[in-house]
Amino acid sequence: MTHETKRKIEGFVALFLSTLAAFIGLFWLIFILGDVLINGIGALHLNFFLNDPTPAGVAGGGLRNAFVGQLMITAFATLIGVPIGVLGGTFLAEYARGKKLSQIISILSDIMVSVPSIIVGTFIYALMIKPFGHFSGWAGATALAIIMIPVVLRTTEDMLSLVPWTLREAAFALGAPYYKVIIQVVYRGAATGIFTGILLSIARVAGETAPLLFTSFNNNFFSMNMNGPMPSLTVSIFQYAMGPYDDWHAQAWAASLVITLFILLITIGGRLILKWRYKL
Amino acid sequence: MKTVFKIGLVLAFVLAGVSAQATDTLNGAGASFPYPVYSAWAYNYHKATGIQLNYQSIGSGGGIRQITNRTVEFGASDAPQTPEFLKKNNLLQFPAVMGGVVLVVNIKGVKAGQMHLDADAVCKIFLGEITYWDDAKIKSMNPELTLPHKMITVVHRSDGSGTTAIFTTYLSQACSAWNDKVGHGTSVKWPVGIGGKGNEGVANYVRRSGNSIGYVEFAYAKQNKLAYTLLKNPSGHFVAPNFKTFEDAAATGDFEPGKDFYLWLVNAKGENAWPIAGATFILLAKEKKEADMKTVKFYDWAFKHGDKKAKELVYIPLPESLKNKIRAYWKDHGIY
Amino acid sequence: MTPSTKKNPIDLLFAVLTAVSSLSIILLIAGILVVLVFESSLAIHKFGVFKFIFTIDWDPVRKIFGAASTLYGTMVTTVLSMLIAIPVAVGIAVFITEIAPDFLKGPIGVTIELLAAIPSIIYGMWGLFTLAPIMANYIEPALQATLGKLPLFSILFKGTPMGIDLLTASVILSIMIIPFTASISRDAFNLTPEVVKESAYALGATKWEVVKNVVIPYSKLGVFGGCVLSMGRAIGETMAVAFVLGNNHQITSSLLNAAATITVSLANEFTEADSDIYLSSLFYLALVLFVLSFITLFIAKLFLIRAERKYSR
Repeated sequence: MTHETKRKIEGFVALFLSTLAAFIGLFWLIFILGDVLINGIGALHLNFFLNDPTPAGVAGGGLRNAFVGQLMITAFATLIGVPIGVLGGTFLAEYARGKKLSQIISILSDIMVSVPSIIVGTFIYALMIKPFGHFSGWAGATALAIIMIPVVLRTTEDMLSLVPWTLREAAFALGAPYYKVIIQVVYRGAATGIFTGILLSIARVAGETAPLLFTSFNNNFFSMNMNGPMPSLTVSIFQYAMGPYDDWHAQAWAASLVITLFILLITIGGRLILKWRYKL
Repeated sequence: MKTVFKIGLVLAFVLAGVSAQATDTLNGAGASFPYPVYSAWAYNYHKATGIQLNYQSIGSGGGIRQITNRTVEFGASDAPQTPEFLKKNNLLQFPAVMGGVVLVVNIKGVKAGQMHLDADAVCKIFLGEITYWDDAKIKSMNPELTLPHKMITVVHRSDGSGTTAIFTTYLSQACSAWNDKVGHGTSVKWPVGIGGKGNEGVANYVRRSGNSIGYVEFAYAKQNKLAYTLLKNPSGHFVAPNFKTFEDAAATGDFEPGKDFYLWLVNAKGENAWPIAGATFILLAKEKKEADMKTVKFYDWAFKHGDKKAKELVYIPLPESLKNKIRAYWKDHGIY
Repeated sequence: MTPSTKKNPIDLLFAVLTAVSSLSIILLIAGILVVLVFESSLAIHKFGVFKFIFTIDWDPVRKIFGAASTLYGTMVTTVLSMLIAIPVAVGIAVFITEIAPDFLKGPIGVTIELLAAIPSIIYGMWGLFTLAPIMANYIEPALQATLGKLPLFSILFKGTPMGIDLLTASVILSIMIIPFTASISRDAFNLTPEVVKESAYALGATKWEVVKNVVIPYSKLGVFGGCVLSMGRAIGETMAVAFVLGNNHQITSSLLNAAATITVSLANEFTEADSDIYLSSLFYLALVLFVLSFITLFIAKLFLIRAERKYSR
């Protein structure tokens, strides 16, 4: 074998393996999504959305309570997390632009994005559950908000940085104070980007389970009381999947299907917006 | 941007509005052993009275912890707590229902009630000293079964559990090696095996992995159609888990209100007594009179209307005399 | 022209508001650290630092707690999942940047990244119901029959294949971290200047030789940063492993045995710990996990920043 053919074969094998790797990645995605779809679709009755859970082993229950609970916890988390995140990002991109402090906070937020979410759960348990003496939807929402803040903060910072500096200068020239420039000019320029960042951060927290385990806890009943234990889809999936009843397993699959579809749609939607607006 | 802000504000008010209206709810947490019966009772109680009793099965250890921290209105534990512990934490305790822990196996061809085991064999399996199903000791007790030469997979609880407390108390009393090496409690350091979360988790793992053995509350074995084993009791008989043998065990128990009903029901003396029986207990915070009264009301309702449901789910309702003792105990503490 | 914030009181207020919001990140990190140290003080006092980390026992009856067994579980699952994930992820990055036709580059990249969007609880459930039986019935017996027969590897594959073990957990983790490593590697590869690549081609290099000798060396800082970032992710992953690890505090040489990671212990035992020292030890575990993942992520970030500086030059 000549040196030349050896090089060619080596190159062919390597590129073949890379292609194989890509197919492995796609294979997992299709395998997991397909499995969730096949197993989940069977249990997607109307009752599943309209009924509350029945006792263990009694058929006919649904997860209405968990849907509502999940929505409320996520909505409140968004209401707490988004303003802080957007304002924080504004500081980094505007007032502290280019300063050392801005860099440090940026790096720390990036780290916070990846910090294990279960730690946030233990933190909130110590801070909000133990002192007040009861599990609460508020604690769950706060835990999710903490996970959201760094995500929103970083995207806001990036999106504001994309707004050309000349745009601000034009507004300053008209004598507008900085805060007005930010709100009326800069935010407007970056609105789509910030909005997408918020969408993606919602997708990120909507599937979280670990921080809810010891904060919002769970509830077998329909509850809108944020001061008490709140059911959520993800914790219900955990309970039902670990349980022994076939009916529970079917419902866990169905809930998984709903939550996965929700998150994937938001994620894909967000990416399409980014692509369309920023050619990213 | 402004409109987004306004929408957010409106949303906040609407959500805050709905979240303010609280319904009549009681929160309890703890043992997973009685979870099927409590949730069935709660379901019917809600239908009858409109009051929601949210019971979360997080394990007895959790029940004790959460009521000690006062994060729930009542805790539930399969492990009776000593009067000293209760006094220290300002708690009340009473039994709610009784049941039995059974061993379940998943071996091809072995059906419920076929495998015979004695305390020594169970102990050695859970210590990891007997590792194959065709071990001479198991074979000698089961001449009619064909046992595979397969490694035994032990399944135990991963969480703090009263079922574990009952089971390990049984092992500790029946076998000194266990007592020396492991001991008993709501969670112990297991020599071998895999851990499932809750009775549900153990039942699930046993069902999913072959050649396994685990211990669960009898109702879980029944509902999941798991193959339970026979056990040799202290009086030397092999007994099957059923109402008769559970009641035999319960009959030997003498619950005393003065000791906050502290009593283990394992290795009972009765001729046909199931060796791993136990009552499951409710823990209340002494100073929270109002919440206690609500909880007591629920259990009083369950004592009156819940026996049938309990039996359906293979629990043993408390004898009438014991129920009256408990009512007197409630009255003494001013919560009934 | 930098505007002055001092002229207008509303401006000052707005500036302060944004500053406080962004400082909340620092406050959060400090707060988590302080709260975790405070809550674990009982355990820190009783077990100390080194003793806690090197004690294998996790014995709630005798009230002796150590982090060694869970640290071991965390390390084994992390390392093993990276061994599986990194070759695949780098392969995907090579495929996307060098092999795929242009119109497929974007879609395939996004599709792979969707793997990261699937909630971890779905991975866990899928792992328990679908992957674990496959591992137990096909893959693990096959591994035992092949690798398990080799002298050095045999200790890795002892025991009954059950699918609920270190190996299955690592496989699931690897699937979860592939997208992170792949997308960072892809970005790093893309930053290799075309000129450098072109000149290598001009010298007669094959496509693979360009990747091997030009692209990968040029972007190794970024790829390495991506790997370390994935490691940080793997260390902290909870729900996906909680389903398939078996939650047993033991140090075992066999990958077919159940184990526990720090995260799994927390998820399983946190609401259930019945004694103060037990709960405090769990907080201590959370503290160890926090410090561990913080340092890992910090290192990853340093590499990525250095890589960024290098390319932007």
